[in-house]
Amino acid sequence: MKLTLADYLVILLYFAFVVAVGFIIKRKIRSSNDFLSSSRSIPLWITSLAFISANLGAQEVLGMVASGAKYGIMTVHFYWVGAIFAMVFLGLFMMPFYYGSRARSVPEYLKLRFDEKTRGLNAISFAVMTVFSSGISLYALAKLLEVILKWDFDISIWIAAGIVMIYTFLGGLTSAVYNEVLQFFLIVLGLSPLVIVALHDAGGWENIKAQLQPEYTHAWKYMGHADNNPMGLHFMSLIFGLGFAMSFGYWCTDFLVVQRAMIAKNMNAAQRTPIVAALPKMLMPLIVVLPGVIALALVTPALQSKGYSIPVNETGGTDYTMTLPSLIAHYYPSGLLGVGITALIASFMSGMAGNVTAFNSVFTYDIYQSYFVKSKSDRHYLVVGKMITVAGILFSIGTAYIARSFNNINDFLQLVFSFVNGPLFATFLLGMFWKRTTGHGAFCGLLAGTLAAAITHGLTIAEGKGGWIAPLYEIRSGLGQAFIVAGVSWTANFIVTIIVSLATKPKSEDELKGLVYSLTKIQKGPKKRWYLDPVVLSILLLVATVLLNIIFF
Amino acid sequence: MLKRLNELNFVIGLFFTIVSLILLADTFLNKGRTGNLNLYTGFAFLIFGLIMIWIKTNKNAG
Repeated sequence: MKLTLADYLVILLYFAFVVAVGFIIKRKIRSSNDFLSSSRSIPLWITSLAFISANLGAQEVLGMVASGAKYGIMTVHFYWVGAIFAMVFLGLFMMPFYYGSRARSVPEYLKLRFDEKTRGLNAISFAVMTVFSSGISLYALAKLLEVILKWDFDISIWIAAGIVMIYTFLGGLTSAVYNEVLQFFLIVLGLSPLVIVALHDAGGWENIKAQLQPEYTHAWKYMGHADNNPMGLHFMSLIFGLGFAMSFGYWCTDFLVVQRAMIAKNMNAAQRTPIVAALPKMLMPLIVVLPGVIALALVTPALQSKGYSIPVNETGGTDYTMTLPSLIAHYYPSGLLGVGITALIASFMSGMAGNVTAFNSVFTYDIYQSYFVKSKSDRHYLVVGKMITVAGILFSIGTAYIARSFNNINDFLQLVFSFVNGPLFATFLLGMFWKRTTGHGAFCGLLAGTLAAAITHGLTIAEGKGGWIAPLYEIRSGLGQAFIVAGVSWTANFIVTIIVSLATKPKSEDELKGLVYSLTKIQKGPKKRWYLDPVVLSILLLVATVLLNIIFF
Repeated sequence: MLKRLNELNFVIGLFFTIVSLILLADTFLNKGRTGNLNLYTGFAFLIFGLIMIWIKTNKNAG
């Protein structure tokens, strides 16, 4: 792929803008609260788009197009099963506790609801997870630049990480959030022409359906038996593993995304943030799944005359991760090629900056301030927050090299999530809705859940991964394995938390006010217009989601 | 003008307006070689960019 002056101009313009945003925001940073949690001052439209954009990293964009090419339209389950319901649940039922408790982070909520050790466990595991995610984004970008532009892998990593470091160091969370919104528009608008042109070239959706095996163009129809669909999954595994354990574990408890709602101006805006974000999320498969399915159709015999092929890797296997870059190279002329490349770079930066800002908040508030230096000036924590930003970037660079050994980065990321997030939702579900849940119960449940995740991964094998204890059970795909691991770990956490809680002493009801559903008086404000009411918006979203599942059944 | 750099919608609008100008300039300088895709996308970006800039201007006026 050869870039021209116009392409380089677009890429340089983007770098200039993201760095400029950092400098503009820098003038507003006066306290650690400004730097690490934006002082709860961000408007709804920005928090909503940042909420979705923080999840729109390289692993989402490249990974979902890769999964679209690998598994077909079943990949939409990550959105219509694995996101919308959890986002609505977060907005309606969980944000009142996150926002109302005045906690600065998700681990801090755990401290208020349970105890210090539960917060510590969650904070440390979250910090490890964000560094992994950030490293994967970095790896994806460096590999991309190496393959399509022949840039040196190591230099790409350091330059790209350096740009993210500049704007997160200068403007902290607000800078990252503002750039996430710019990145959102760039990704959506930058990739939209590709979808239109490629879809037209493939003869439209009806022709794609005619060329592909039916299991690649139906989301549910072939899920009655695991052997009948490309993911190798039974629909119950999907619903419980992805639709419940993994999805709710990620969207409702992962501080990376929840943080974007926690910086809203008021409770109503905080509740509506994930609900408003669910609308673009619902439509996102048009941008990140459809291109993969189109690519799959373009390599069928009937469409080979179009001259497109999915790249192969060093071992001769199909390199699904490179599906999107290869489509961009195939269809985009100079100028627009720069926009497409910049959209990919933006997806990387969005994912990495989101992880780094969440990492520095949790590390500063929940690890450094809680365990090391408790009572220093605000200025001290501001400086520490900035230093942690630099450290987070350096850790990410290290983990990028670890990620280099995996083929489909999406499979890998889902596996990491399932270890950490799979069991987590059980802790929050019981903590928020059952006042009898104790700190000991939550802590033991989390440990049991994570252990169960590791054991399940060690006893199952999929695409050569897992089975490190004994490969007793073979699963057809890495994604299927991740769902099963998440489901088992959630169940283990749920059961152990209940058993230990019943055997230990709970906190008094006075201590739990504002933290548990049955002990919190839900504030009912004046009657709102329908589009300001989170309940009405949620119902509309859920109806639309069910309809989409029926249409593509 | 400088004050408006604090508004995110203005920054986004400005970015897409400049990108659209690059795409349109590339189309006219390399006539025939880049096809119509740059032209259509350039106009779409230009409209989006100007709307993003205008939204707040209109609000300020009101």
